[in-house]
Amino acid sequence: MQFVQNFPFMTIILSLFSGPLSSILDGKKAKRVNLAVMSVITVMSCAVLVFVLNSGSSYVYTMGHFPAPWGNEIRVGILEAFMAVFFCVIMFLCVVGGVYERERELEDTKQNLYYVMVNLLLSSLLTLIYTNDLFTAYVFVEINTISACGLIMIRQNGRTLEAATRYMIMSLMGSGLLLLGICFLYDLTGHLLMSNIREQVQLLHQSGTYNIPLLVSLALISVGLAIKSALFPFHAWLPDAYGYSTLSSAAILSSLVSKGYIFLLAKIFFRVIGFNIVRDSKVVNVLFVFGVAGMIMGSINAIRENNIRRMIAYSSVAQIGYIYMGFGLGTTAGVLASLYHVLSHAATKSLLFVAASGITDASGDNTEFLELTGAGYRNKLAGVAFTVGSLSMVGVPMFSGFISKLLFAQAGMESLHKMLPTLIALAISTILNAVYFMKTVIRIYTPVPQKLLQKKGFRSVSVKEQPYKSAALVFFIILNMLLGLSSEPVIRLLRSGLAMFS
Amino acid sequence: MNIANLFTNYEEAIAMILFGIGFSNLLLQRNLIKKIIGLNIMDTAMYLFLALKGYIDGHKAPIVTDGIQSVDAYINPIPSGLVLTGIVVSVSVTALMLSLTIRLYRRYHTLDLDEISTRLKKEGL
Amino acid sequence: MNGWILLPVFLPVIAGIFLLLMSQCERRRLHQAAGAVLVISAVLAVAAAWTGDKSVTLFYLMKDIPVYFHIDGISRLYVTFTSIVWVCVGIYAFVYMEHEGGEKRFFGLYLIVYGVIVALDFAGNLVTMYIFYELMTLTSAPLVLHNGSREAVMAALKYLFYSLCGAYMGLFGIYFLYQNCDTLAFTPGGTLNPVLAQDHRTILLIAVFAMLAGFGAKAGMLPLHSWLPAAHPVAPSPASAVFSGIVVKAGVLAAIRTVYYVVGPDFIRGTWVQTAWMVLALVTVFMGSMLAYREPVFKKRLAYSTVSQISYILFGLSLLTPMGITGALLHTVFHAFIKSALFLTAGVFIFECGKTRVSELTGIGKRMPKTVWCYTFASLALIGIPPACGFVSKWYLAEGALNADVGVFGWLGPVVLLLSALLTAGYLLPVTMKGFFPGKRDGEKTSAGNSEMKSSAVDIRDAQKKEPSMMMLIPLGILASLTIILGVLPNPLIDYISQLISGLM
Repeated sequence: MQFVQNFPFMTIILSLFSGPLSSILDGKKAKRVNLAVMSVITVMSCAVLVFVLNSGSSYVYTMGHFPAPWGNEIRVGILEAFMAVFFCVIMFLCVVGGVYERERELEDTKQNLYYVMVNLLLSSLLTLIYTNDLFTAYVFVEINTISACGLIMIRQNGRTLEAATRYMIMSLMGSGLLLLGICFLYDLTGHLLMSNIREQVQLLHQSGTYNIPLLVSLALISVGLAIKSALFPFHAWLPDAYGYSTLSSAAILSSLVSKGYIFLLAKIFFRVIGFNIVRDSKVVNVLFVFGVAGMIMGSINAIRENNIRRMIAYSSVAQIGYIYMGFGLGTTAGVLASLYHVLSHAATKSLLFVAASGITDASGDNTEFLELTGAGYRNKLAGVAFTVGSLSMVGVPMFSGFISKLLFAQAGMESLHKMLPTLIALAISTILNAVYFMKTVIRIYTPVPQKLLQKKGFRSVSVKEQPYKSAALVFFIILNMLLGLSSEPVIRLLRSGLAMFS
Repeated sequence: MNIANLFTNYEEAIAMILFGIGFSNLLLQRNLIKKIIGLNIMDTAMYLFLALKGYIDGHKAPIVTDGIQSVDAYINPIPSGLVLTGIVVSVSVTALMLSLTIRLYRRYHTLDLDEISTRLKKEGL
Repeated sequence: MNGWILLPVFLPVIAGIFLLLMSQCERRRLHQAAGAVLVISAVLAVAAAWTGDKSVTLFYLMKDIPVYFHIDGISRLYVTFTSIVWVCVGIYAFVYMEHEGGEKRFFGLYLIVYGVIVALDFAGNLVTMYIFYELMTLTSAPLVLHNGSREAVMAALKYLFYSLCGAYMGLFGIYFLYQNCDTLAFTPGGTLNPVLAQDHRTILLIAVFAMLAGFGAKAGMLPLHSWLPAAHPVAPSPASAVFSGIVVKAGVLAAIRTVYYVVGPDFIRGTWVQTAWMVLALVTVFMGSMLAYREPVFKKRLAYSTVSQISYILFGLSLLTPMGITGALLHTVFHAFIKSALFLTAGVFIFECGKTRVSELTGIGKRMPKTVWCYTFASLALIGIPPACGFVSKWYLAEGALNADVGVFGWLGPVVLLLSALLTAGYLLPVTMKGFFPGKRDGEKTSAGNSEMKSSAVDIRDAQKKEPSMMMLIPLGILASLTIILGVLPNPLIDYISQLISGLM
């Protein structure tokens, strides 16, 4: 065994232990530790990715000395390693982009606690990506929920407390269902390791016995994870949580936390149940219907929203709908499109949140639409970044959103019954997206007389004034364009990763 | 499908009924404390279910005292381990929920989440 | 390597971005820089176009979907007239934009849009074309909302909304074509896979219709036409000129590429798609003229006129015969020159006298005869009175309709075209007539009443003869004289187009 193969485990442990370490440091030092840990993890994950790419197959890493059916395992393939790298990078940029807001909005004594949460969240995300054990996955789902809740409520006002409570209640229901589903699976198969469960499930499926319990457990797991990732109509907590928490929390929550659950669901579909069984079950159809409903309802809510951050939050509801629609198509191409959209949405939504905060900075911290008029001129980089993010969300060529829509449409064409609903839903939601994003872009580029600005006391924000945020924005834009312009290598990576998945 | 199955497997049936009670309480109760109680009932139902799955009639706890190494003598220890882990998770989640509830109560002097929402809207925050 | 043909795409785009990012600079320097870039890129573009067929692949967007450029006959034609109009209007704008303000932004975007349109003309497959089609929509929208007023913002939103809706209908069709075509690269005669096409005939016809209707939105075809009359009056006149002359032609180009280079004319000949297309085009021709005839605001009148004239072109294309396409392509070129000339005169009226309504223009001929003469020549060309150029294209369109095997449309088409030509005369010529022969003053007829109108009318008639500056007059003159020259000597162009079409059908 090569040394690199230890890295996935080491990244998890590293971020898990830097959490407690941050709790005894002061804010500044905790930030440095956190950023250093994240860079180290990124580098290590890159090394793992290179290793897996070279070896061309996934490998299993046994935790402790207990062999397969009893011990705990990590399994690393191309997709896992790639996701780990991607999540680390996005999280790094989110944390960097929100430095000012954190310093302003959080109490001094709580600065370091923020990084505890971030580290815990990262370690739970990494575990969700890597683990091969269902119960470990459940435990880290809960850790993920708790740290996400911490990220929401660390900025204390009534809204965030209420949002955090609602988030916890929803999440707990989701994880209750997930746990029930996992227990059913354990009851049926007698295993907790994903690959072993799969063998047994396939045997059960062939023999035709216990089909209903299998279906029930699949449904419980899917619904549980769907609730946790805020699929419509379980999104009530989301606008408040994203709209009023501190900037980097909103960016991390929208782009990563829900994606961790989605990745776990993909993993359960492919590695635990086997995609052929998932396809034959009617569960995918349910996901499809809710996904399509989310795409449209999320956008309609976003159109009616008058607060820019809540608007972006509602747009997340729509984008999560896209992802579940892709799962619901029940084809590998659909899942591939969903995974691509996970990347694209993660890169775009965090960009939008950071850019929106740049825009509100230049509008005296107002988030109402009317006050944002002309903000694109007052904060040039944020204006450009917001435009890029909007175009990507609308699905304009050259940006990442276009590619994922193209993939969704192609995947939709393959399925006979779902072709028309998919294409129509894509068309409607694209137009709705265009309505509210273009409205915003035009709003921020509508000139305002100087006198009015002086009266309101809005000032221009230059790039130099906020070097961290600007750097994060620039990197986000580059990431977005990369995903939009040279999608082919990424798609190839995802495809081979997906093949390696099961 | 046979209704008699329900009676022979009455332990599982009870676990599921408890889960249902807990879940609906978590979902439908207006009072936050009652919600948390619902959460705990739900979790407990899961532990009952798991413990049942590990228990084998007439077998002993998996601790080797009299030199018997045979698997047939002991119950399955893994579900017990899972229950323990689950309890830890549930305790921490409950603690978090309780602390949130305290914060909300201090601020709004009520435990009704809907009431809090309407007040927030009135504040226009 | 043929990479250099992308120079006329990247040069203006980069220069434009540079202009947008640059801090405020002196007007003269700005004009020199923008003018130099514009002329150089135009020369490069034309040079790239006229030195043979070339292709270059930029990169792969996805597996087997490259961003691919290929110059062929249609690209050549489009790039040439685009460049002429763009340079002329650009020079005119140097003077005109003074009173609109925001020159840096305007010229930056003006250059970027030029680069994007050149890329659109050079595009070698459907996806590349679609990308630049979208980019053109996005980059040209700020030109509409230039003055930032409420109407301008609403008009820009309307424009964006209609164009994006149209583009997505196009994209919807592209998905289906991608599944059913051998390649999306433009090939004369189409690349539809015959076996697959037979299997999915119905859905493919729907897809093609969606594409035609969607791209028709940009070309102002019913039912997605209403952005044009909203956008033109609020945009600065040079922007309106290039919008009407060039940008809407992108919709025509997209339709040509779809029908003749991907789907193949044989696939839709005789189907309901062709009929529906023809009906939509003819209804638009008639309705556009009617609306223009009743419209009091000068620029809005011209915008409705564009709606009607572009549908002449679409009607020609929908005939699917060589004669029809010849007429359509000729009208594409002619209309580009004519309509930009007309909008430039409208700009002169606004710039010099601040007049936007037709009724206010009485007596304008006394004040600036040269301008009004240019206007008159362009109007005659649009109506189709020989020897001006509109006659030639309309002749081909009518002939094409009569000879095509399209049943009742064979005679209905020419009748509608004729009616619309009469209406065109009806809405364009009054400006000239009232301009040169204002008749008796209102004041003399109705003695004292209505003094306010009197004073505004007196304003123009009593003014000294004062032409606009040469920088505005010369581009206008060039465009107007081109309409006459092409009408007198249309043969080289006709020869070129028929040669182009012989490879197509």
